[in-house]
Amino acid sequence: MNYILHLLIMIEIYLILAYGLNLVVGFGGLLSLCHAVFYGIGAYASTLLMIKTGISFLPAMLMGMAITALFAFLVGIPALRFRGDHFVLVTLGFQMIVFTVLYNWVGLTRGPYGIPGIPRPVVFGYEITSLIGYLILVGVILMVTIIILFILYKSPFGLALKALRDDEMAAEGLGKSPIHTFLYAFIIAGGFASLAGSLYATYVTYIDPTSFTLDESIFLLSVLLVGGTGNRLGPLVGVVFMILLPEALRFLGLPDTVAPNVRQMIYGLTLILLMFLRPQGIAGEYKINHYGKAEN
Amino acid sequence: MTLLLQLLLNALVNASIYSLLAVGFGLVYRSMRFFHIAFGSVYIIASYTVIAGMDISGFPLILSLAAGVLAGALSGVAMDKTVYLPLEKTGATPTILFIASLGIYILIVNLIALLFGNEVRILSRGIEPSLSIGSLIITRMQIVQFLAGWIIIILFWLVIRKNTFMKGIWALGETPTLVRVLGLPYGLMRTVVFALSSAFAGTASLLIALDVGIDPHVGMQALLTGAVAVIVGGVDVYWGWIGGAVILAVVQSMAVWQFSSRWNDLITFGILIAVLLFRPQGLFSPRKRREER
Repeated sequence: MNYILHLLIMIEIYLILAYGLNLVVGFGGLLSLCHAVFYGIGAYASTLLMIKTGISFLPAMLMGMAITALFAFLVGIPALRFRGDHFVLVTLGFQMIVFTVLYNWVGLTRGPYGIPGIPRPVVFGYEITSLIGYLILVGVILMVTIIILFILYKSPFGLALKALRDDEMAAEGLGKSPIHTFLYAFIIAGGFASLAGSLYATYVTYIDPTSFTLDESIFLLSVLLVGGTGNRLGPLVGVVFMILLPEALRFLGLPDTVAPNVRQMIYGLTLILLMFLRPQGIAGEYKINHYGKAEN
Repeated sequence: MTLLLQLLLNALVNASIYSLLAVGFGLVYRSMRFFHIAFGSVYIIASYTVIAGMDISGFPLILSLAAGVLAGALSGVAMDKTVYLPLEKTGATPTILFIASLGIYILIVNLIALLFGNEVRILSRGIEPSLSIGSLIITRMQIVQFLAGWIIIILFWLVIRKNTFMKGIWALGETPTLVRVLGLPYGLMRTVVFALSSAFAGTASLLIALDVGIDPHVGMQALLTGAVAVIVGGVDVYWGWIGGAVILAVVQSMAVWQFSSRWNDLITFGILIAVLLFRPQGLFSPRKRREER
């Protein structure tokens, strides 16, 4: 039972990440490889705030969100001057740089030793320690995230993003600023990733930089590519598929030594097959066809 | 002072390996115009072929090294024939090829990790004999890396300089449709590009693996080194790729001198981002006219 609750909590955390990233990848059409960085900065910022200044969970979470949003702004300004593979490279570069800093700035982050003993969140006087409590806490935050993002998806802002994705020059001609629109999407995605990071840190009560590597960014991107992007269903399908697949393998009786590799192989194969059969992912709307410039 | 000279010497040795990686990555990136992440898996296939050869039967080392490079080249061509070419026939854009390539990379790395384990495997045992030049020290393996790397780079340049076929491959990156219109062998060119690129990856991989061993996850680092060198130096110039590789090696050595090697990634990708921002065509590329882009 605890095991199922744990899975549900992880699914909820990844849903927050995926719905945020959907705004950049699905609506903006930009393949970002630094989402794990925002996840990680959120986790570290809120944890350090809670430990060093002793403020409680909710303000720490919100301040972490603000810090991450500021960081996303700083990353977005140079990165969004590019489209296509140069955008991928710049975001990848930031992923590597931030990971190096998290790993080597031992004075602040304790580097590879990680931060153990992160306090449990105290929300309105209640300390949340049980799994059920977490499920509800993460669920509530997920609901708020989803409501905000679904409104954004439908809003003129979301439609402008889609227009810029489909034909940047035409949308620009209609008065939609690509820099502003993409930058807001990037910042919002970063902010929600930070929420997921704070929740993850207090849930696991231990963080170290290896949770926020390039592999994690690639995993988050594949969640969206597998599930599909540009609509409300795709990220859900992706998260459920990618999180439950390893568990399904466990029930098939694969030994634990080979299971991680087999799981990754299935992810890889899925990506290849999808590119042949369904470039928009299992339940997606946006078909990846852009590269640098708008095509007709 | 000795330390600085020693680090510069190491940088020159590293630069030979980085150049091989840059040429390997650059060939595909320049002519196919997509980001070939599976290059990183070709890199590990070559070394693990040698390991498999040693595990199964005691092949002589030279023979298994040749087999390793050949296996790398074949795997690269196989990737093209089974995934990239069919995808391109359906009208896939570079982004789709990029994602498919990512899929291949994940698939192969984990397949190899499954078969051979995640830990580092060593190809040659024992301590390398080393040579002292004055107060500088160089190991035998470093000499081999240095000579092999730079000889291959220079020979390859001499071969492609006047070669019509290679000029055709260069043209492939400019206007792929025109290559077919002119009746140049498009399929053969692709095969040659992938075979050469993968052979370069394999050679670099073996030179490194003979020195420090290999594990299934170093492919990404090799790919990123090659890619950063190509983009920093400039995609359109052969010597730009080499220049990018040399700059990368020297700057990393200087970083070791001043701070510590732990900050290498920060410096490498810092350079990449700075170059993309301030000189997107690369350090050694001539500035392009607007209508040429």
